[in-house]
Amino acid sequence: MNHIIYMNSNDLKRLSVLQRHLIILFIIILVPSTLVAQLKRERANKDPKIERTFFAPTNIGISTTENVDRHNLKSSIKHTFGLVSSGIDQFFGLDNGSNTKLSIDYGINDRISVGIGRMSFNKVVDLRSQYTILDQTISGSTPVSISIKGSIGIKTLSGLGYSFSDRLSYFGSLMVSRKINRLSLQFAPMISYFNQPFLGNKQVLKGLGIVGSYEINNRLALSGEYLSILGDRNPDTKNAMSIGLNIDTGGHIFQLFLSSTQWHSESFIMANNKDTFWKGDFRFGFNIHRFFGL
Amino acid sequence: MMVTKTLVIILLLVGPQVHSQPDSVAYYTESGYVEFVSSVPMHSFTGESKNLTGIIDIDSNIIDFYVDLKTFKTGIGKRDRDMYQTLNVEDHPFAEFTGSFVSLPPPLTSLIDSVEVSVTGDFTINNVSKEKTIEGLLIRKKEGLKLLCEFELNLNEHNIIPPGIFFYRVDEIQKINLEALLKPID
Repeated sequence: MNHIIYMNSNDLKRLSVLQRHLIILFIIILVPSTLVAQLKRERANKDPKIERTFFAPTNIGISTTENVDRHNLKSSIKHTFGLVSSGIDQFFGLDNGSNTKLSIDYGINDRISVGIGRMSFNKVVDLRSQYTILDQTISGSTPVSISIKGSIGIKTLSGLGYSFSDRLSYFGSLMVSRKINRLSLQFAPMISYFNQPFLGNKQVLKGLGIVGSYEINNRLALSGEYLSILGDRNPDTKNAMSIGLNIDTGGHIFQLFLSSTQWHSESFIMANNKDTFWKGDFRFGFNIHRFFGL
Repeated sequence: MMVTKTLVIILLLVGPQVHSQPDSVAYYTESGYVEFVSSVPMHSFTGESKNLTGIIDIDSNIIDFYVDLKTFKTGIGKRDRDMYQTLNVEDHPFAEFTGSFVSLPPPLTSLIDSVEVSVTGDFTINNVSKEKTIEGLLIRKKEGLKLLCEFELNLNEHNIIPPGIFFYRVDEIQKINLEALLKPID
């Protein structure tokens, strides 16, 4: 070994090709295998998706591209109260009747979830499903997340002489979102169809939901949303707007918000919101989401 | 010519010894099982991964294991995402151990043979390395070598702040259990 190591460049030049090959072979055989150090580190998923574009599958009133994870159950409680402008007599709306929605959603797999909920206004029960088409990736190979959502609403108010078919409404939405650093944006064209709309109301309503969220840190995010009616709208209805604070406590997501609408599902927000946020017609509300593994 | 002759003679002497080792002495896996048990007041939960990758090279006395932290699942997606953020996974995706046997294990001659081993080396997570000695059990199997071990990991030692609110906080000590069947490298 010493003989080889101490050969200078002139010595090497004098060696024949055969001799050089023999030296290389000699080194390969005798190089201790300890020189084979660490294994090469490789990610299990070489193109991972962006995590947590939004804090929850519902921003305030509009659904987001976040879906319920596989074999997880999400339970939600949503409350909205009366107008803050009602003043101290109504304790800034808290004394006014609230609209409450209870719901659960289950992740069949990482892309498909199904859910059921009930809202106290109009006693609407809704069945819904959401499918994640694309997940935005960190590398940018997929630049946006895309989901679709469909639901059927059933008004269960009694004593109005409705047939079952009259009580049904349908909703569909395409959600496209992108997260850039801490800022997330979503655009969601949507459509609602009411089998038997209230007198003077439209059977078909189209809208565009715009959702934004800014992650202050792991625990807090500011968010806002605007639901604009496209085309014909129901009489006296206005575009809905909400702003909120998302709080992640680990086990729960709390969403505290001010909203022009007291309704919870997109189709009923489009059909019924008659208040304008910028004119001071907003109310306090909150959503609580809790996730379980099943 | 003198150099060539010398080399040929050395190769003839050394070569057969190098290639005459009867048994494989290096074992490898990329599907080992690793779980952690994490405690919060009045509750505990488990996260598991089946992506433990590692090599045991007895001949060279090298032990090298790593796991992609994003392969850990606790059963609740939201909790997984919180965990990835806590562990700073996007910047430092791996938990890894590189070390060597404190003393080389004796040959495992029969299928039921097992031997307790002790390894020492650097355990790294969140880009913070700490020297660690871990006890384990090596069991000779028909398919290769089975490794069983358990140890404790202190998150604070690796600059990881256990998540929680006020007094309701994840314990800084994580119990790690590991089980892997390593197959001989051809």
